[in-house]
Amino acid sequence: MANKFSLPNLGIGLGLRTAHYSTITAEKPAVDWFEIISENYLGTQGRPLDFLDEISAAYPVVMHGVSLSIGSTDPLDFDYLRELRALRDRVHARWVSDHLCWTGVAGRNTHDLLPMPYTEEALAHVAQRVRAVQDFLGAPLALENPSSYAEFTGDSMREWEFLGRLAEDADCALLLDVNNVYVSSRNHGFDPITYLNAIPFERVVQFHVAGHTDHGTHIIDSHIGPVLDPVWQLLAEAHGRTSGVPVLLEWDAEIPSLAETHAEALRARAFIGAAA
Amino acid sequence: MNREPTADALGLHERASATPARAEFQPASRLGSAPAWTEGTLGLRAQQEWFAAIVSTAEAEPAPVDEWSAARLVKPSATLSALARIEIYRQGYHARLIECLVDDYPVLQHALGEEAFEALCRRYIARHPSRAPSLNYFGRHMSEFCRGEILPNPVFAADLASLEWAVVLGIHAPTAPAIGLEALGQVPAERWPDARFTLNPSLQVLHLTYPVNAYLQDYRNHALPVMPEPRANVVAVYRTGRSVWRLELEPTLLKLTESLSAGATLAAGLGEVQALLSNHSEEEAARLVTRCFQHSVASGLFSAVTI
Repeated sequence: MANKFSLPNLGIGLGLRTAHYSTITAEKPAVDWFEIISENYLGTQGRPLDFLDEISAAYPVVMHGVSLSIGSTDPLDFDYLRELRALRDRVHARWVSDHLCWTGVAGRNTHDLLPMPYTEEALAHVAQRVRAVQDFLGAPLALENPSSYAEFTGDSMREWEFLGRLAEDADCALLLDVNNVYVSSRNHGFDPITYLNAIPFERVVQFHVAGHTDHGTHIIDSHIGPVLDPVWQLLAEAHGRTSGVPVLLEWDAEIPSLAETHAEALRARAFIGAAA
Repeated sequence: MNREPTADALGLHERASATPARAEFQPASRLGSAPAWTEGTLGLRAQQEWFAAIVSTAEAEPAPVDEWSAARLVKPSATLSALARIEIYRQGYHARLIECLVDDYPVLQHALGEEAFEALCRRYIARHPSRAPSLNYFGRHMSEFCRGEILPNPVFAADLASLEWAVVLGIHAPTAPAIGLEALGQVPAERWPDARFTLNPSLQVLHLTYPVNAYLQDYRNHALPVMPEPRANVVAVYRTGRSVWRLELEPTLLKLTESLSAGATLAAGLGEVQALLSNHSEEEAARLVTRCFQHSVASGLFSAVTI
């Protein structure tokens, strides 16, 4: 099925990282598209924007945020949203995404993706904020399922139910991170296929894959190293439920060369091809 | 008096949605007491305040909640207790912000040593928690912070932090192309005395107690920098194109820069430079004044000339 928002299938992309700026601008490699971390380009009028202007002129760009704090009980930060919107317009970002989480409260930002309690109260709270953000942006917001390391005793539903209901209630798009599904499934002891079964795939506009680190007692969403096989298998399963959705590799620690990072991303072809 | 470029890697930290890999879980050394507001059923707001208070508590301190209270809010997993699961977030919070400060201050980290620098970062994080969506300016208080800290040489550390932060600001500041000899050649000779120069908009001028620019350069050259003796000096930091430059300003160049930035004409600015050279012969002073101006232009300090 086509995604509900008619957002394009951009192909296989990479998270844009500063370590690769020079290679990208000098060699113009054949990468389908790049995803930027929005906050890296806020409050700057300097070199990061200079690179981004050049790269966004040559490649499709999508914006991925980490500070929207959509689940926070602090008021929405409209100064931040204004900057976000201006950046989107500047680089002609195809869409804007962030996480189903909160990053701070009482004016402080932890810069971490903190877990939401999955309750009716939280669902109503987040849904009205997503609608407000979409109204402000004049476009659908894509929300990503986070990796999490804690669940709350007061939860009245599981994350997949919360995410599915939120998407319907707020009429938003979804960015499905299959690595996060896997990490959370191991940390919380659920079947990732159960998670996928609850996802309204017509709302999924993008997939994330990444590496993770197994600490024995829990898994950390570290974005280190290659994507592990169970995550590729989940991508195949999830992608097969769409009619074609772009896939993006996140690699954020011990980042190898652009060529190596891109080669890792292109491994997705084997899994989305098999599922198509 | 050569200007030195600052490479791409310095001052450009990345934000990402990943949890820092260094966030190895270590059980809390001892438990604290539960905040009073863990009593009763928590609404979303109270729950977030509760969680954030624990996450942002310094790791050297016990978690401000005991296992029993933690389990009232957070489910244990098959392998981790409720408190242990919250600890993952607490350690991730500090690790992420420390990574950011390491990116901003690699030379300060080298100067202090990794362990002492990390301890400094933890105190910094407690004193200056982030309130902004972006981490681009999270480290802005470091120089001032160092002055008040118990360090082997807080003034040296503050100077070094000033210089490293100036590089970060240089990366993010707006700039303009430097004027070259071609533009200057278009100024008619008779108009030179009245010409006024616009300094590069990203220019920062640092007055320092220690020669930290040389120390930083040794670090970048993979030499082993040695803690220098104090020597008052002035360093300009600015960006042209995608390069951030560090340039130690000798007294003549500093005087010219100050005069022109205050709106003086070229003749007035060069006159002030010449006044500094009263202990030189007239011929030598004229040569030095000319060299000073040429150097300022060659270094890209000016972005426009108006007549």
